[in-house]
Amino acid sequence: MKSVDNVVLRAESLTKIYRRGVEEVRALDGVTFSIEEGEFVSIVGQSGSGKTTLLNLIGCMDTPTSGTIEIDGHETSRLSDRQSTRLRSEKIGFVFQHFGLIPTLSVEENIMLPTLFARRAAKGKASELLEQVGLSHRHKHRPHELSGGEMQRVAIARALINSPALLLADEPTGNLDSTNGEAILRLFTDLNRAGLTIIVVTHNPALADAAHRQLNLQDGHLLLESQL
Amino acid sequence: MGISPTFGIGGLAWRNLTRRPFRTSLTVSGVSVAVALLASLLAFGKGYERELSRELDAMGIQMMLVPLGCPYDAAARVLKGNALDVSLPASAFVKAKQDSAVQDAAPLLMTTLPRPAEGRTDLWVGVTSEIRPLKPWWKLTEGSHWFSSDTSDSVILGAEAAETELRRVGDSFYSPETGRKFKVCGVLERSGTADDSQFFVPLKTAQSMFHQPDRLTAIAIRLKDPALTGEASTRLQTIPGAQVVTMTEMMGTFLNLVGSVRTLIQSLAALAVLISALSILTTMLSTVLERTNEIGLFRAMGASRSQVFGLLALESAFLAILGSVFGVLLAGVAGSGVERVVRSFVSLAPQGRLLALTSDVILQCCGVGLLIGIGAGVYPAWRASRLSPIEALRWEN
Repeated sequence: MKSVDNVVLRAESLTKIYRRGVEEVRALDGVTFSIEEGEFVSIVGQSGSGKTTLLNLIGCMDTPTSGTIEIDGHETSRLSDRQSTRLRSEKIGFVFQHFGLIPTLSVEENIMLPTLFARRAAKGKASELLEQVGLSHRHKHRPHELSGGEMQRVAIARALINSPALLLADEPTGNLDSTNGEAILRLFTDLNRAGLTIIVVTHNPALADAAHRQLNLQDGHLLLESQL
Repeated sequence: MGISPTFGIGGLAWRNLTRRPFRTSLTVSGVSVAVALLASLLAFGKGYERELSRELDAMGIQMMLVPLGCPYDAAARVLKGNALDVSLPASAFVKAKQDSAVQDAAPLLMTTLPRPAEGRTDLWVGVTSEIRPLKPWWKLTEGSHWFSSDTSDSVILGAEAAETELRRVGDSFYSPETGRKFKVCGVLERSGTADDSQFFVPLKTAQSMFHQPDRLTAIAIRLKDPALTGEASTRLQTIPGAQVVTMTEMMGTFLNLVGSVRTLIQSLAALAVLISALSILTTMLSTVLERTNEIGLFRAMGASRSQVFGLLALESAFLAILGSVFGVLLAGVAGSGVERVVRSFVSLAPQGRLLALTSDVILQCCGVGLLIGIGAGVYPAWRASRLSPIEALRWEN
């Protein structure tokens, strides 16, 4: 197991309540945990347990009803839209189940897309990432010319282009067959070995087991935190 | 490996338009038609004024003496080759000729001859040789000559009239409407003016044919100096039964005549512009709806609200720019067709080309096109920028 000391993410009494008409839904209820730099953590639980809600709060895509989140020393639960946008751009990389590649852009352009929004030049970095995910030979291809596994590797490279402190992945193997799923798992493991902090929401037992820790959610509560 | 990321927000916006080529083409076509209509209208306004001015200048006529009545209507009819129901006494010509400011004066008697069998109406004009300095563009074709006498039954045909009648110099023909036989002594070269379709006969012959002895329809006048227009006008106005219309006044009258037609076309153009703005609005709203998920993805990647707004606003502006460019091209290509339609509404249109697609007309049209695009794109772009990232990501089409 990796030796870790510095906290990169701290969540305190995190609660998220949605209102559906007159009904009140507690998607998360008093969740407290912390993740240290270089950790690989999986969030597991049944559908509706609050996994994606938690990931969205960590990724500054949503704000908690109560409680606090701290990312890399920044309290993020009460940020303005402009501040949370900046934080996402600088500190967080997202990977989604449906890849989210832009069909009119080439592989390399898809990878460069976040740098466009961050107004950064990262030409060399894109080349490195393409090599790292094993798709240098496909850099001019369009997404429809790639397999599902290749598309997800491009999406991972895109999430890493701005050198984030955290990589957040929501069901990254959910749309892949077992072979491609294993390839993504290996890629995550390699990236983590290189020092990247990864938080992954998954139903895939192999991926969940590959993580150092599992956060098990049930009905919005964190059940247990078992050290692997 | 050579990576060349040359795309920016603009490049991204441009490529987004290529996702739905059919829809993009339809929207661009809508804007093009509106801009083409607008360009035609503006070009028509410019061209009409230019051609009218050119035609009036070419006439070498600074004023017309016409019978009392509506002076502008009378002058307009005379200039464009329509007959008048009222006339002037021939003595008016003598007085006009004697005025110290007058360089050249020419008497005219114009009468229409309906020819129902051929489905047209011919215009016969009685003239004297005094008309020639006032029509400097008149050129007789080879073999032609001026009337042998003031009373001969000779006719000089305009170029179109000769073609329609299938007559050449030396031919004779019988005119059942007048009961006379005419010999073609001359044919005029095409001048692009109303003269091309007219029949010219000696003044006295016309007066006799149409039972108007010693009567005139109008007197065309050129002054020794255009600066004398005011004082000459005051003096000539005193000739009994006559009134003066200057060419400057005529210009204004002509422009007023087309004013109502322009208002009609302006309304159509405004409607087309509105429809094209609505088509951009609909296209952009559909785009936002279809790409809601992607907008959420962009926000997750660190795109700010203003960047999302800019991306969508640029797409809308590109649609408008493309539409404007094609619209101006369309106006250039289809201009002659539009001109024919406009001409059919304006009976006294100048003969020359009426559509003047000048650079300022093109700039104005592109400006309006861009305004349409920006105006119609603001709401969809604003809506996209206000989407909650989390709601956008959850969106399912």
